[in-house]
Amino acid sequence: MASDEGIRTLTFWDEVVDTHPLTASGQTLLPKVLTQLVARPESSCILVLHRSNIVGIVTRQDLVNVIAQRSRWTKLRLATIMTHPVITMLKSELSTVAALIQRFEHHQISHLPVINENKGLVGVIVQKELLLKANAQSAETIIEQQHQRSQLFAEITLKIRQSLQLKEILQTTVEEVQNLLQADRVLIYQVLADGTGKTISEAVQTPYPSILGIPFPEEVFPEDYQHLYAQGRIQAIADVHAPESGLADCLVEFIKQWGIQSKLIVPIVHPLPPERLLDDTTNHLWGLLIAHHCRSPRQWTDFELELMQQLADQISIALSQGQMLEYLEERVNLRTVELTQANTALQQEIQDRKQVEVALRKSEEQIRLITNNLPVLIAYVDAQQRYRFNNQAYNYWLGQKPAKLYGTSIKTVAGAEHYEHIQPHVRAALSGEQVTYEGDLMFKDGRYHAVSVSYIPHLEMVEPGQTTISGFFALTTDISERKAIERMKDEFIAVVSHELRTPLTSLHGSLKLIATGRLGHLSDEGQQMLTVADESTDRLVRLVNNVLDLQRIESGEVTMEACTCDTADLVEQAVDAMQTIAQEQDIEIQTQLKSLAIWADPDYIVQTLTNLISNAIKFSAPGTAITVTSQSCFDHQPLPQAINTFSQSDSPELALFCVRDNGQGIPHDSLKNIFERFQQVDSSDSRKKGGTGLGLTICRKIIEQHGGTIWVESEVGVGSCFYFTVPLSSKKILQTS
Amino acid sequence: MKTKRILVIDDEESIQKVVSLSLKMEANWEIICASSGKEGLREAEAQQPDAVLLDVMMPEMDGIATFERLNNNRQTQAIPVILLTAKTGTAEKRLFQKIGVTGVITKPFNPLALASQMAKLLGWQL
Repeated sequence: MASDEGIRTLTFWDEVVDTHPLTASGQTLLPKVLTQLVARPESSCILVLHRSNIVGIVTRQDLVNVIAQRSRWTKLRLATIMTHPVITMLKSELSTVAALIQRFEHHQISHLPVINENKGLVGVIVQKELLLKANAQSAETIIEQQHQRSQLFAEITLKIRQSLQLKEILQTTVEEVQNLLQADRVLIYQVLADGTGKTISEAVQTPYPSILGIPFPEEVFPEDYQHLYAQGRIQAIADVHAPESGLADCLVEFIKQWGIQSKLIVPIVHPLPPERLLDDTTNHLWGLLIAHHCRSPRQWTDFELELMQQLADQISIALSQGQMLEYLEERVNLRTVELTQANTALQQEIQDRKQVEVALRKSEEQIRLITNNLPVLIAYVDAQQRYRFNNQAYNYWLGQKPAKLYGTSIKTVAGAEHYEHIQPHVRAALSGEQVTYEGDLMFKDGRYHAVSVSYIPHLEMVEPGQTTISGFFALTTDISERKAIERMKDEFIAVVSHELRTPLTSLHGSLKLIATGRLGHLSDEGQQMLTVADESTDRLVRLVNNVLDLQRIESGEVTMEACTCDTADLVEQAVDAMQTIAQEQDIEIQTQLKSLAIWADPDYIVQTLTNLISNAIKFSAPGTAITVTSQSCFDHQPLPQAINTFSQSDSPELALFCVRDNGQGIPHDSLKNIFERFQQVDSSDSRKKGGTGLGLTICRKIIEQHGGTIWVESEVGVGSCFYFTVPLSSKKILQTS
Repeated sequence: MKTKRILVIDDEESIQKVVSLSLKMEANWEIICASSGKEGLREAEAQQPDAVLLDVMMPEMDGIATFERLNNNRQTQAIPVILLTAKTGTAEKRLFQKIGVTGVITKPFNPLALASQMAKLLGWQL
């Protein structure tokens, strides 16, 4: 709201201005000055002139102070005590009492000389007189003006703050300022980064042209100007054409096109945007708030300056708010984008998981379908020995429904007595060992079925390289049919072997008795035929014996009854048994024995040694020797290398037996299969040597059942060496304990 | 020295003949033959042989059952019994040793060594 009430009439100022002040030259002695002041008691000061120009001022109070403090004051001249330079005011600048009072206060002065445009003395205003004159009327006016200013300012501020939109704020500001100041044009000029600028908001009276959006070249607003404005410079130019306006000619020429006579410019400065605050805290010249007067030159009042300044500050705050808002909106947008992306990713993950779940369900159904239709019992038992899964076979075979079994302990399901049998296997599985055992299980028809049960530990990785046993999988297979067939086979072999042996015994015995010649003499041909028949029956007897032995070992019918026994004793027993045959063949059996305690079934070890010695005799030439040795060796290296790496510091783990002959040797390609059934080097061997082709297979089976190894080293024409190992008693006892 | 009397119990007549001939030839022992467990029990009671050579696999009453009956009979329990068997497995040998027979001879045997094998098991001098 515009108001001229604060602007005083010339009559008022005529009363306030003392147009006849005391004046004197600077060379005037103080006593003379004192005399003048005494003669003019209404004068409170004396102006010091030099060629009609005011160069200093001395107040009555100044003079009193000097006289009181200086003893030789009478010698002093006015120039020595005057205050200079002197703050003066153009008469044309006189507007409001408030502005004038503010000027007194601002400069801390009590007297203000008034001059004309030619710097000629018009008079002097005394602060005290001014206040007295203005008195009641002026005091009220000042308060009223201040109130109005506050109100106006508040209204504009409110309008500005009602919006957070910068463009709207700026437009409101220029419109309100234009309206309030009755200026012809009010605009906001934004300074761009390259030094140029343009008007971004404008309120203009007709018929004056708009300068909205017109770019201003850099030269009309040099960098040093920008720096000054950034420091807070306010420029109020009453007449742009006046020489004292200080405007460059080019600028005056430039602004002429918009009819500008007078202008008031206040800077809009504000801190840098939040993202740039960290490295730069200086104020930034954002733009200018400019008021133009086009009708005539205009003397801008302090009120107007102050209003413009305060509004520029509000714009600055609004800019900061706007920037902060923009910054926050940008952050919000950024965050929204991030959240949207995260949400999309989450949706995708949910979708993926759903698909995985569907696939899992399908897979689970397939597994369930398979497990339920397999003719085996499949179960999963957790670490607490409780069933966590049973397939439908539990229902079909045992009449136990999987749903009822779930969570039930195997002890409860198996019963205390049966659990006692399976408990060691369960413990072994839960300690990580894969277990297979055979047993009998009663099916729901009340009949016992032979079953083979396997426990497979479930190892779960808790950390890389570290596993824990969560339970075990139990697979139970019905082996009743297999067992029945095995039994039939065993019975068949037993019967056949017996039925073969009985006539063989008669045949064998009869032939032996005839061969003695005590029952009558045969011709030489008859005797030869008798020998053939005798040898053939011997061979047949051995074959039947070996077939029966092998069948028994393979069927598990035979169990090794291991005990601690001495290697030297066993070798001696075998050598004793074979000594007669060896002597018949003119073959010497030598021994190099180390007495070692082994964990073995002595009968079977003797049988193995006997077989090997028997073979060695068969394939040795008369007059040669067979060597049988026993020594200790290690288990941790591949045999036979272990034999040669004996170290005193290590404790041996195995006993090593060796039967060496100097016979014909075995070709390299036959070594691999020598321990397989009927794998004699030469098929004619069996006929020549009376072998059955099963002896070495039986040896291998026996040694494997002892946890040992059997192998052969041989060189054609040099001889063969059959090795086998058996655990030492100390190691076995240690393992068992 | 009194001639030893041996009771041979075997259901196979051919075996009876080979064993009889072999033992007579090699040791000049007196041989009594029985073709079944029951007959063997009767002959053992009646004849009181010095030893019994008993086949294991026989119909009706097998060698093990016959041995148990001989062993449980006061009149025959002192007679040493040697089993003659086609069962050569180590496990079976152990079973035979466990029940308390004097010895085991496996079929087919060497008829020229049969008498010496038996004498060795019975602790006799030939």
